[in-house]
Amino acid sequence: MTIGTRLPASRHHAKAATLLLLLAALAPTAAPVFAQTSPRQPAPRNAIVYFHYPLDGLRVPERFTVRIGLKEMGVAPAGIDKPGTGHHHLLIDTDPGPPDQPIPSDYNNIHLGNGQTEVVVTLPKGTHTLQLLLGDHTHTPHQPPVMSQKITVYVR
Amino acid sequence: MRGLRLHLIVGVTAVFAATASIGFAQERARPRSPAPAGAKLTFVDLQNNARIASKTTIRFAVSGMEIAPAGTVRRNAGHHHLLIDTELPPLGQPIPSDFNHLHFGGGQSEAEILLSPGRHTLQLLFADHDHVPHDPPVISEKIIVEVMAAPEEKPRTAAAPNAKVFFPGLQDGAVIPPRSLVRFGQENIAIAPAGTRQDNAGHHHLLVDTELPPLDREIPSDFNHLHFGRGQTETELTLPPGEHTLQLLFADHEHVPHDPPVMSQKIRVRVQAASVTAPAAAAPPPARAASGRTPAPNDASVYFIYPRDGTRIFATSTIRFGLRNMGVAPAGVVRPNTGHHHLLVDVATPPLDVAIPSDLNHIHLGNGQTERKITLPPGEHTLQLILGDDQHVPHDPPIMSERITIYVGAPAKRRPRR
Repeated sequence: MTIGTRLPASRHHAKAATLLLLLAALAPTAAPVFAQTSPRQPAPRNAIVYFHYPLDGLRVPERFTVRIGLKEMGVAPAGIDKPGTGHHHLLIDTDPGPPDQPIPSDYNNIHLGNGQTEVVVTLPKGTHTLQLLLGDHTHTPHQPPVMSQKITVYVR
Repeated sequence: MRGLRLHLIVGVTAVFAATASIGFAQERARPRSPAPAGAKLTFVDLQNNARIASKTTIRFAVSGMEIAPAGTVRRNAGHHHLLIDTELPPLGQPIPSDFNHLHFGGGQSEAEILLSPGRHTLQLLFADHDHVPHDPPVISEKIIVEVMAAPEEKPRTAAAPNAKVFFPGLQDGAVIPPRSLVRFGQENIAIAPAGTRQDNAGHHHLLVDTELPPLDREIPSDFNHLHFGRGQTETELTLPPGEHTLQLLFADHEHVPHDPPVMSQKIRVRVQAASVTAPAAAAPPPARAASGRTPAPNDASVYFIYPRDGTRIFATSTIRFGLRNMGVAPAGVVRPNTGHHHLLVDVATPPLDVAIPSDLNHIHLGNGQTERKITLPPGEHTLQLILGDDQHVPHDPPIMSERITIYVGAPAKRRPRR
């Protein structure tokens, strides 16, 4: 899976548009929950989501693969309601929103809705922050949220 | 062909090197880490003017210093670099990373390299966490090796005498469309991915319009010799109209045919021009592959993030799995391009057309886990990953890793590398 993120180059627009379409398709399932803020899925206390790659402070090329590790929980595609599972979200240059709301879908909040555990991202040169956040079948963070540290990478 | 490719690569890198050196001249010199006076780099069991096979494992030794992975700042430590057919790079700069300058930033002390026939130079250069050579530089002597022209004869793996491979549903003299699905069958022999050594097992090779290659060495890899190293049992073949021959040849983990060789009859097929059979060929792809198993993307793969092949681990360790170009879903969930992991400990690859067994050696990660903490007794163990679909049946093509060997406990004597 390849995602062009906040890139001026026009060839990435097509990709981004497909991504938006995909996410739009997922939105209806998320909407009712958004309205009534249903109880959040519990997560084990010792559950941890973390980066295999890159690590904090690393210099990375413009196009690189983010590899995601998950401890004490399982991965399930979006829409699959199974206790102790969730799917990954990669937050780029942004802070997590309120934990009782579904994670937004935009260029800064990349949903790995098919249960992916790695994703290829393309970022412009410079300093960027990355953070991982697990969401349940409705894209809402667990209780407590399973979230990685926010790391900084230098794209050269 | 390999020789030609390597020459091309060398040519291209020479151009790169030229441009890179201009870049280096402008870049400021990096601070160099000091090295003790007695530090020495040597090749292990490799003399100057040695004659070696084209695919050889080169071992390195360092004395007076320690090995530390790239990025780890430690006094009197560094990691190896192997320079092939090249002069020393500028010593005040990071060593370039290309086909002529191989980095072993993981702290490796051996490497398998592939050289074209002819004479080559090899030299080792130690460098610090930043890939910058030490001061004074820690260098081995530059040695010349000669690579023999013929590919090396390889030991052949035994196969059951009644093992056979065949084309299910494709007879000699058949008429097929230009683009058709060719399936491979095998009996009394198991499928294992290339690189995984297992008795009476191997992977398919499809020979198109060619004679049998020599049976005591690696099957060539080109348009006439198609490798199915991931254990595939079918392929979509596109052939120009006319008469063609097809033959299956099974081969072991190193692509060397078995003893006795396991091969099909050479069949003749006639490919008909597209217009006649087009409506039939354009049928929508079935939801399940011809084998009845769940289809998987061709570029998907599963691999070990930790541990790596040949490494020593603690008795209780967390095994971490990576999955490329597919997603993870718990068992029972039907979703295209997803599956769940199975960790196989000390067992052979199971049959690929039925559900993966569930016992102490076949660990199911049915809740979609991507890592697992296991405890192993001291000694040598093998690990392998296989993805299973909602019913625990491997996909088609199977998404499985190489079977890796790991060691638990105190270091034992070095085992001969196989």
